[in-house]
Amino acid sequence: MTSKTGDHESPHASATLTADTKPRAQRVPPPETPEAIQARFRVIAAFWAVIIFLGFPIWWKTTSIYRAHLPIQDMADWADGKTCRPVFPLEIHVAAPTMQLPESQHLVRTTQHALDDLNEFAAHHLRLKLTNDTEASTAPSGDDNATAGITADDGPDTALTVRVVPQEGLATPRSELRADTTQLDIFYPPSQAPVPSSSNPPLSVFIAEELQRLYSEEKATIAHILSGGTAGRDSETISRRLRRSMKYADTYHLSFSLFTPGSAPSSWHIEAAVQEYLSPLLHAFAPISNFTIDTQVQLYARFSPMTPAPVYDEAESAWTLKKEDLSAFINAAEWPLNPSIGSGPTLNFILYVPDPSQSPMIVKENRASSWIVPQWGGVFLLNPPLAQASKGGQTNPAHITQESLRPAFMTFSHQLLTLLGTPTTPASLPLRLQSLIRVRAATLLLSASSTMGSLARLTESLPSIPIPATVASSVSTTLSHLSSTCSHLRGGRFGAALASARIAESEAERSFFEKSMVGQVYFPDEHKVAVYLPLLGPIGVPLLVSLMKELKRLVAGWKARRRSTA
Amino acid sequence: MTISSLISLLLALIVTLRSSPVSASSDYHEQLILQPLPQSSLLASFNFRGNTSQQSFDNQHFQYFPRALGQILQHAHTKELHLRFTTGRWDAESWGPRPWNGSKEGGTGVELWAWIDAADDKEAFAKWITLTQSLSGLFCASLNFVDSTRTTRPVVSFEPTGDHPAVDSLHLLHGTLPGEVVCTENLTPFLKLLPCKGKAGISSLFDGHKLFDAAWQSMSVDMRPICPSDGECIIQIEQTVDMVLDIERSKRSRSNPIPRPVPNEQLLCDTSKPYNSHDTCYPLEKASGNAWSLQEVFGRTLNGVCPLAESDGSSDQSVCLRVPHERQVFHSEGAVEHKKADGFTRCFALSSSQPFDLSIPEQAVQTEVPLDEPVLHAERTIVGHGQERGGMRIIFGNPSKTTDVDFILFESLPWFLRPYIHTLQAIITGPDGVPREVPASELVTGTFYRPAIDRERGTQLELALSVPAASTVTLTYDFEKAILRYTEYPPDANRGFNVAPAVIRILNAPDSAPIYIRSTSLLLPLPTPDFSMPYNVIILTSTVIALAFGTVFNILVRRVVSVDEAAALGAQGLKGRILGKLVAIRDRLKKKETKVD
Repeated sequence: MTSKTGDHESPHASATLTADTKPRAQRVPPPETPEAIQARFRVIAAFWAVIIFLGFPIWWKTTSIYRAHLPIQDMADWADGKTCRPVFPLEIHVAAPTMQLPESQHLVRTTQHALDDLNEFAAHHLRLKLTNDTEASTAPSGDDNATAGITADDGPDTALTVRVVPQEGLATPRSELRADTTQLDIFYPPSQAPVPSSSNPPLSVFIAEELQRLYSEEKATIAHILSGGTAGRDSETISRRLRRSMKYADTYHLSFSLFTPGSAPSSWHIEAAVQEYLSPLLHAFAPISNFTIDTQVQLYARFSPMTPAPVYDEAESAWTLKKEDLSAFINAAEWPLNPSIGSGPTLNFILYVPDPSQSPMIVKENRASSWIVPQWGGVFLLNPPLAQASKGGQTNPAHITQESLRPAFMTFSHQLLTLLGTPTTPASLPLRLQSLIRVRAATLLLSASSTMGSLARLTESLPSIPIPATVASSVSTTLSHLSSTCSHLRGGRFGAALASARIAESEAERSFFEKSMVGQVYFPDEHKVAVYLPLLGPIGVPLLVSLMKELKRLVAGWKARRRSTA
Repeated sequence: MTISSLISLLLALIVTLRSSPVSASSDYHEQLILQPLPQSSLLASFNFRGNTSQQSFDNQHFQYFPRALGQILQHAHTKELHLRFTTGRWDAESWGPRPWNGSKEGGTGVELWAWIDAADDKEAFAKWITLTQSLSGLFCASLNFVDSTRTTRPVVSFEPTGDHPAVDSLHLLHGTLPGEVVCTENLTPFLKLLPCKGKAGISSLFDGHKLFDAAWQSMSVDMRPICPSDGECIIQIEQTVDMVLDIERSKRSRSNPIPRPVPNEQLLCDTSKPYNSHDTCYPLEKASGNAWSLQEVFGRTLNGVCPLAESDGSSDQSVCLRVPHERQVFHSEGAVEHKKADGFTRCFALSSSQPFDLSIPEQAVQTEVPLDEPVLHAERTIVGHGQERGGMRIIFGNPSKTTDVDFILFESLPWFLRPYIHTLQAIITGPDGVPREVPASELVTGTFYRPAIDRERGTQLELALSVPAASTVTLTYDFEKAILRYTEYPPDANRGFNVAPAVIRILNAPDSAPIYIRSTSLLLPLPTPDFSMPYNVIILTSTVIALAFGTVFNILVRRVVSVDEAAALGAQGLKGRILGKLVAIRDRLKKKETKVD
């Protein structure tokens, strides 16, 4: 290790040489000059200085991965539900125009008591508020209330208006929910008018029970969502309904297709039908989602060869499809049902006109002519009256009129509501839409929170993936919108809560599916060794050895100096 | 009546259809023209045309217009679209001019050009990328590889065929994929776009095995708006398939496709050849023509008519055959034959329910359907040798004895082929057959040139040229081959790189539709590296650096002493001590041995 010259001799030769030259071995070279030692020290120090101050930073810079700072703890807290407990206080206005103020105040108080007694799910509670303003109780149409969510000011949204009216000739109170507005009319016999003295008047109990019944499905759904799909009454039916419905999106593409295995009908009066039967519903949905509509006509759409053919049923005098075969009804390989372009999922509604030789066609088990394909769309079998063909035999009509599209579009509207996750009760559509807003807000809040949690876990478990700055900004946007969602919910402003939750969800998705993060660079350690070793091996070893020797010399010199001073 | 007159007739039909007020907002037509060509070939031209009103197109109510394509076009703001899938080579020497005057064919592979509505070039390109990506998914083609290097913006080679209200905001973009192999997976989505889906009507003849076995085939999709002066605008989609089938080859049964030699006694030999003998034969084409039927050539019969096309009177006769009238043609029951006055065309009105077949027996006929001479012959090749430089040679032949031909040559070259335009040279061979070198400027009347930028865009070269009557012009220019980066090579780098075909637009006949000719695509061999290179480079450079470093470092750090001094020092070092111990052990062993002795 000391001198290159020694290496030239073979071990054997040197061994004999040492034996032979032992007597002459006293000839030791003169000690090195301090200048030489100094120069060697400087050379080695210079080399190491270059390595430490230039090489190492460059290597560090070029091989390090940018990881933006993420608020991991906050994200995990949101996912665990520690930051926000969503609550749903519904404000219900009570109007009793015929009653005296103290009477009505008493009615509201006792009803509120009765309601609180009935309620077993604390997160969702109804707050009654007396408004004897007759305009407010009668004026609001369903339309205004549905849009109220977005235009809400600081006050909470009004979920429902209860109008208490006396009516002659009644034995017991009676309720009536208007189908097109958010108003519940309660008629009571004047004999049962609440008396301020009674602590539990029958009218209050009746109103409380009515309200409880009205919101029971929504309550159960929200309880189900908040508990993560385990608790709550009717858990099975609710989870089935939720499974069917589409994931929430800003925009849904509705695609209506006319399929027929033959060449007729080749046209339909679709524009008018959409305008007439569907537009009002879509308009009512405007605060929740947007919709685009496209339609197509597809002829010669045969079943796939794997589909079991329909069977003729003598009793029904119809061609029947078995219920379990309905999943194979759509020939996905051949029918052009590709999703629409643009962001947002596509809902497909298929109007199938069977071949004249297989008409009419129904579902065997329940004689139904329509069914839902969960999270995908719906199918309607249309059996138009057959026309007598000129050459004998029967044909489908060449054109389907708007009137004959009516039952199909009624079904499609219903299927659309189901696919969008609208609750089945109560009967009033504005109430159902309001309820949908709350359910969606809860779903989005939970899903965005859990996405945050997943992202936090992902970045912690994979230290080698980069985190770009855009992800960090998306995460902070998500968190701020999540907390604003939470406060909106607490304040009862559900429309605003949904709007915030929408942004939170889309930002959360964007941060989780960030491309540069998903495509992490994979460098196995063997590759690193293969690349570094050829260079660092031959260079590193002499450098390290010389450094060690130099350190040893310095330590020895330091010790010697200490001994000499001591 | 020639094929070109037939084509002009078809075009006239289209023109009349265009000019006539459109009664129904959406209608559909289809037509098949069959024409036997020399060398036992058969040209089959399928044409499908559907219209939809602008309003229902904008509102996404699709009836005859395919929804998938319509949504793509709306999403990408594409106002006019032309898409071509082509394989094989059109043999203009023996088959004459191209069907549809070449306006429905593309260069080998995939060719796409579209007019996109956009505010500026950048926006247009973004929409173009959207369009290519979506079409790539729709047609199962690699159109998503049409990036900025394969996209050009031709100036004079293409004109919009539709009626556009705002031409100023339209941007023409053109892309080619010369290496794309067109196959069945492109035919299936193509058929899905048709209202009758290949289940009825003439589209029921399509069979991927036969179509892509053709000597030449071209599929096209064209979309354009048509605005009559007195009515509502309509959006027209026109799909065509043209193919040249080898009748002999197509008639082979699928179960036994191995070609067999013609038995000796059935061979027809040219006895005028000097080498003709009992075992040497120059085969002649059959004078009586080939016998064939639809069933034999296409492998299936025509399955009735597409009922959507029924209502229209002109496409009542949706199948036309161009053979001399004296030739016998058998057709299946239910169809009605109409002979046209030109003496060569007969059309068939099909029955809606029965399958249709027609068969032509062998028959010696005197007249032949005359074929036109193409207006221009064009041939393009890469010349030169070596890995560094090469040259392009384009030969134009004008067969006409009287008229000059004016045309535009459009070349889009990949960026790694760097042409030197100053080396553009022209050699003209007149009727006397003497080649004469002339300056290129004598023939080139206009040049549109957009040089390449490495890895960003390719060269775009449009030359307006003129070839005098009965002359041949040879254009040459040199180019240099670029060296690509390691990652830019495709998996089969040694095969060579495809260079897109040149597009030639003939400008004669000012009023009629332009004639297009496309040359064959070219294969450019580039220098290819050894692909295990990076690791070799790491090892080699590391070794060199380590050697140099070691030497320098040792000289700087080591102490220089004489040999015997080194030995003395060595005894103090680690090695010396180990050696000393070894010697001591050996000595002890030796002593033991001597003791035993």
